[in-house]
Amino acid sequence: MKFKLIYPKWKKLPGQTTFNLPPHGPVVFAACLPERVDVSFTDENVEDIDFEEDCDFVGISMMLSTQVKRGWAIADEFRRRGKQVMFGGISTMLHAEETLQHADSIFLGEAEGRMEQVIADWEKGQLKKVYNYMGKQPDIALVGPARRDLYKRELYNHKGVQMVDLFHASRGCKFSCYPCAVSYLGGRCFRPRPIEKAIEELETIDNNRLFIVDNSLAQSTQWELDLFKEMIPLKKKWISHTIEDKPEVLDLAAQAGAWYVYQAVYDTSDYIRERVKRYHDYGIGVEGTILLGLDNQTEDDILRLIDFLLSIDLDLAEFTVLAPFPHTKAYDDLMRQGRIFDHDWDHYNAGQVVYQPKNMSPERLQELYEYAWKSFYHDETQEEKMFKLFTKVMLREMEDGTYRPRDRKLANKSFGKDVDRSASKVNLR
Amino acid sequence: MFDMKVNDKYFDEIFDFAGQWEMPSKCGLKIVKRGDKTVVLATELYQDNPGSSITYAGGSLIKQICEAKKLDLRNIIYVECNPDTNSKLSFYDEEMFRVDFEVENEMPTNLKYTQLTKEEIESIL
Ligand code: B12
Ligand code: SF4
Repeated sequence: MKFKLIYPKWKKLPGQTTFNLPPHGPVVFAACLPERVDVSFTDENVEDIDFEEDCDFVGISMMLSTQVKRGWAIADEFRRRGKQVMFGGISTMLHAEETLQHADSIFLGEAEGRMEQVIADWEKGQLKKVYNYMGKQPDIALVGPARRDLYKRELYNHKGVQMVDLFHASRGCKFSCYPCAVSYLGGRCFRPRPIEKAIEELETIDNNRLFIVDNSLAQSTQWELDLFKEMIPLKKKWISHTIEDKPEVLDLAAQAGAWYVYQAVYDTSDYIRERVKRYHDYGIGVEGTILLGLDNQTEDDILRLIDFLLSIDLDLAEFTVLAPFPHTKAYDDLMRQGRIFDHDWDHYNAGQVVYQPKNMSPERLQELYEYAWKSFYHDETQEEKMFKLFTKVMLREMEDGTYRPRDRKLANKSFGKDVDRSASKVNLR
Repeated sequence: MFDMKVNDKYFDEIFDFAGQWEMPSKCGLKIVKRGDKTVVLATELYQDNPGSSITYAGGSLIKQICEAKKLDLRNIIYVECNPDTNSKLSFYDEEMFRVDFEVENEMPTNLKYTQLTKEEIESIL
């Protein structure tokens, strides 16, 4: 049986360096399919979909709200051609009711241990309209190595430099942050993978640089320590969300190859300043993630926050505006107060204001968001800052003997397309 | 990341309900008689609610409470409480909403939220 798996494209935020990373959800899902299923994968962010390609069944994996409208359009096209289409992934769960209108079937929840049944149903012509596993998480030990063999590797390469590979060592999150739907999606319980399984998978990844996409590694100190200890011999270099800033954790994280971490910066406190410094003390870079437009922020607060960021020596910063994604507390609060004025999911990209902020107009918040990007990268562009981080990691790889020079054959290509040398500024050697 | 333990001053029991896509969900519940009306106060439990939020469950939750407690949908005052969680961030301050709705095929629809002041909530309770 030929299964066509598709990851719909989305519009990247203007002004940001566009890096297309190899998508994780689809290949983790593909690993759950029975062996008799022959999978072909298209990531529409890097290549066009061939609607004529020979296939029996189509699967669409959607992660972001800004992917859903495109995902639905793709499904409509395949269904017009007589194919059956099934949806799954994070934004299928967040936008389930609407997605159902464009689907033969929707799959809600995690796929491990469940696809044999789904495929058998399809084979018997008894595909169900809804496979509902919400709140019923499978045994975490069932998570196996992702099907990274499905990637067309040359499409995730910028001028000879291979993009990071995505990987996860745990699911779920015990926190419930205001703008986040993760607790709805993956449960409020931290579910670490058995360390030997995670390490086994890491060993199979033919890429020294990773993005560990776990919601937060900072959920169990002992597990963090054990994981990092086991990772040291692999000599990988990695980016991740927050890790704990206890000295013993930072020390092992650095030895295990922590390259840089995302750190939410929500105020101008010494706590944040010191936290960033502690990461740096261990040679770990920091990308600040700054959410603008919360009800407790005034214009002055935002301007002060931007000044503060420049003073704490962040390696990179990423600004977003609050987006009331479905199944978040932000959505509930703003919906009850009648403050959401834009319901076009294409605009839910965290770069566009879709609600009435409390202390300023939507237009003013939009301006402040753009001002934040401009002022943070005024003296040194994002590409230049990124280049510094790359240099750091290359030096460490050279020390480790794991450094791979860039692939000369792809030096004139960026994500599968020819590079216009005259227009390009980035040069990641 | 915040510890979001909810204070139990607004509920007498924990009510189990089926959230979106039948997800097992929980809320705080207090029911008080006020003359010929019944005041139903549902409280969001955040961290201790494994499923859908009470706002997301909306009309379906109101129906489930009325069915379980044998209340007349048309004769209740429904109040949604999103309690203080002792977080220093202001958007977790306590918020109370009176939820007015119409009933269509025994299902609450067209939910309208009106925020209540402390005094209003005290007078209702
Ligand atoms: C990796 C990631 C990214 C990467 C994506 C790279 C790529 N090429 O895809 C990058 C960094 C680019 C990114 C960007 C953004 N992201 Co992001 N990201 C994630 C993250 C951390 C991991 C996703 C993941 O891989 N999960 C692990 C996989 C294995 O899980 P899964 O996809 O659910 O797959 C399972 C099932 O769903 C199922 N399944 C999956 N596909 C299919 C298909 C079928 C047919 C079936 C049956 C089953 C199935 O099987 C799998 C195994 O069980 C999530 C948070 C999280 N931890 O989930 C946020 C998350 C998805 N991102 C989010 C956001 C907000 C963003 C941004 C919009 C803003 C920002 N800066 O964060 C930007 C995009 C801005 C823009 N317009 O450009 C939100 C989503 C909000 C929303 N509703 O859109 C999330 C949930 C984070 C959060 N805390 O809220 N992100
Ligand atoms: S923002 Fe991160 S830490 Fe907070 S609930 Fe979401 S996944 Fe967990």
